[in-house]
Amino acid sequence: MHQMNLEVNGVSYPVVADASRNLLSVIRTEVGLTGTKEGCDDCECGACMVLLDGQPVNSCSYLAAQAEGRAITTIEGLAEGDELHPIQAKMLELGGVQCGFCTPGMIMSAHALLERTPQPSEEEIRIGLSGNLCRCTGYAKILAAVGEAAVEIR
Amino acid sequence: MAITDTPRFVRADGPDKVTGSGRYVADLTLTGMLTAKMRYAEVAHARITKIDVSAAKAIPGVFAVLTADDVPDLRYSPVVPDRHLFAKDTVRFEGEVIAAVAAINADVAQQAVDAVVFEYDELPIVDDLEAALAPDAPLVHEAWETYAVTGDTPRDRNVATFSSISKGDVDAGMAAADIVVKQRYVADGSHAAPIEPRGVVAQWEGNKVTIWTSTQVPFDARNGVCETLQMPSNRVRIIVPHLGGGFGGKCGFHYEAHIAALAKAAKRPVKLVFSREEEFLAPDRRRESMIIDLETGLNADGTIAARRGWVAVENGAYTADSAFFPQLAAMHVAGPYKIPNVHIDSSLVYTNRQPSGSVRAPTAPQGCWACETHTDELAEAVGMDPVAFRKLNAIDTGAEGVVGQVYGEIGLQECLDTATEMAGYGQDLPDDEAIGVAIGWWPSFPGASGAYVRLDADGAGQIVTGAQECGTGAVMTLRQLAADELGMDPEDFEIIYQDTGVAPYDTGATGSQTLLNNGRAVVAASEQIAEQLKDHAADMLEAAAGDIVLASGTAHVAGSPDKSVTIAELAEVAAGGEMLIGKGSPVPPEYPEIPGMNCVGDQGVAAWAAPQFSCHAVRVRLDRDTGVARVLDIACAHDSGTIINEIAAHGQVEGGVLMGIGQALTEGTVYGEDGRQKNPALLEYKLQTFADAPTIKTAFVQIATAEAGPRGAKGLAEAPNVPTAAAISNALAKLVGQPVRQLPMTAERVWEATLSGNSPNSSNGDSGEAS
Repeated sequence: MHQMNLEVNGVSYPVVADASRNLLSVIRTEVGLTGTKEGCDDCECGACMVLLDGQPVNSCSYLAAQAEGRAITTIEGLAEGDELHPIQAKMLELGGVQCGFCTPGMIMSAHALLERTPQPSEEEIRIGLSGNLCRCTGYAKILAAVGEAAVEIR
Repeated sequence: MAITDTPRFVRADGPDKVTGSGRYVADLTLTGMLTAKMRYAEVAHARITKIDVSAAKAIPGVFAVLTADDVPDLRYSPVVPDRHLFAKDTVRFEGEVIAAVAAINADVAQQAVDAVVFEYDELPIVDDLEAALAPDAPLVHEAWETYAVTGDTPRDRNVATFSSISKGDVDAGMAAADIVVKQRYVADGSHAAPIEPRGVVAQWEGNKVTIWTSTQVPFDARNGVCETLQMPSNRVRIIVPHLGGGFGGKCGFHYEAHIAALAKAAKRPVKLVFSREEEFLAPDRRRESMIIDLETGLNADGTIAARRGWVAVENGAYTADSAFFPQLAAMHVAGPYKIPNVHIDSSLVYTNRQPSGSVRAPTAPQGCWACETHTDELAEAVGMDPVAFRKLNAIDTGAEGVVGQVYGEIGLQECLDTATEMAGYGQDLPDDEAIGVAIGWWPSFPGASGAYVRLDADGAGQIVTGAQECGTGAVMTLRQLAADELGMDPEDFEIIYQDTGVAPYDTGATGSQTLLNNGRAVVAASEQIAEQLKDHAADMLEAAAGDIVLASGTAHVAGSPDKSVTIAELAEVAAGGEMLIGKGSPVPPEYPEIPGMNCVGDQGVAAWAAPQFSCHAVRVRLDRDTGVARVLDIACAHDSGTIINEIAAHGQVEGGVLMGIGQALTEGTVYGEDGRQKNPALLEYKLQTFADAPTIKTAFVQIATAEAGPRGAKGLAEAPNVPTAAAISNALAKLVGQPVRQLPMTAERVWEATLSGNSPNSSNGDSGEAS
């Protein structure tokens, strides 16, 4: 068993877990935050996307022990109190959410995209979010939401 | 009454979903909870010679190991009860459950699964729909004649059910035709592939069990548990937390009884969560493969004289909810056309592969793809533009369709006009682009459904409904309906839903029926409260109840807006006496009668209530060197009656279209010679990504439909999935020089067709207006 400290959403969590455990499962069980989803355990769907020092990572394919000493951000860390992050608010307002299972990962990827490309073109949004599968929306409303969120954040 | 103007509609479950606080089954933990895993057969067809679980049971940390010996010995399934919870004597597909294990954690559960001794003798595999029909074909179910089938469907050996639709004299019609076109179309199976893999948690207290499960149909799941574990319905409570998509894949009854039985045996709560691979291999809900032979006779003026069809629909190893698929498939290959002479024979064929079940518009994308690809071939044969050919032959208001049903006011022709205009059909295009057009149809399913609505003392509203939200927004839209009846704001209502212990029956998120049926129930319940509010207001305002108007959160006297009282004040008064509780479960709209309908094996899906219509026009670009097709944009026109929640309606069309593109180009199950799936992973089974998605333009042809849902709404969730693959096929046929008569139309298949196509490089894309 491996003892480690994980910093998630600005909070430090002492965790004891097998060194082979992936970050996703430790966040969901030991840390106790279930907003990050498992859709495939194979790096194909993006539902488990979190940010490591601001960079998007599929947490299913990343060892928890490797995340020690880095700032981990999950979907639970985006809103400021009751105030939604503009990406969250626009996803709701424009209909980018249906079943919601891809939503946390999609929002984390969008967050990373807007950090590195504050004024993305439509094509940049499509490419930037192509690692996140959504089966409900056809991506149209998500595209609109991320575009409007970019404007609002500016 | 006007529909509440909510152009930017915020879902009641939305804040849960964007903040990560919403709970899905996999997110639930109960004290003492064990982990379940299944031992699957991993062989397509075999005689079981030995199952020994003693070694598995002996592993420390294993609390229960169950097989067929541990549950009631009975066969279940609607219509054709042909399966057991656990494999018994014979294995008929690779995902069949041999044993179920509950253990202290996933590692120990896996050890126990591996320790189950399972020995068998392999049997010949039935995996070819035509070979399965041969008189000497091996049988998937040797005892098929002994099954306690309901209804009077003709059955024979590997044919699980059979239906025909028939009208006029097809032999005479064909003989008199000027042109006859005959072709075969073959569609592979595919998957619903919701992003959430399914999960089940079961916990017993005394003789009652609560089951949290990712089902689209909570009451169906409850009934399945009651049937297989022999329990009364009031001791089984099904709760669905948030559901991460279904698309039909989570309809029906799946693993709820296995996990309930494990939890009972282990005396602990038990949780099952599927891996992505299990999600592909195990459930009895994948989209059926089909073989479709169509022969159509045309008159010289381009009208259709006769159509003969033969359809084989793959059932897989067991009959889930697929008994009606042959009749539905027959309707789709016959199509929404005026054809005087029709005969279609359609069979549901057993194979040793994963069972088929209701995935989003079952049989329709494949049936429509065949019918509409064929339609473009007919147009070419008679020298007409394909859109003009459809304008001539498609049904419209007052026309008689393929089973003799005469349709009321419908918008099919308007859909055709609208979609082709939005797509710029007829424009000049580069020679690697073309626009394909297809039309489709889909029934609405009226049925029983119930809801309660109540206003509490502070004026806050609750809608308590048996309806199931699987993401579409249909349940969310119920707030709008209640608010409109009561002159309140949708945000004034919260929804208590997907819990069989608290709400009245609803069929669930299946058949696009939620708003159609539960919407009527919520309106009826709200009307009762409206009457109560008006009576109270009449007393307080000294007016007649008939003069009271509910609007903007108040009750006022008609013509005197200042003579008013707030609904919150009325609610407070009512809370001290006869409370504001409404219940709705209105009689469903009637199915149309079709005098003289000549169908064998009628499964109730030939006469269509409130049919929905659609036309998709899609612009496709083809790289002829590689066969890779890219959908550039698509214009969709839908007649789904009155649209109540515009933003959710657009979401249904856009999602359905993308699923249709996947079915058209990349999504197909590949089987090995051993009868097992070769691509049960998202890397090998390709869903459409953000980067693949085209621009989607949608228009609704809104006709307030009689004998339909609230305000004349029809269903919508499945309809957008119907004609997309067909439209893409017709664009590709123009670019390739001939249709690609295999679905999915993968790059390899397109490229092969290009080699034998007759005009791959001389095509000018879209063929333009009618000649």
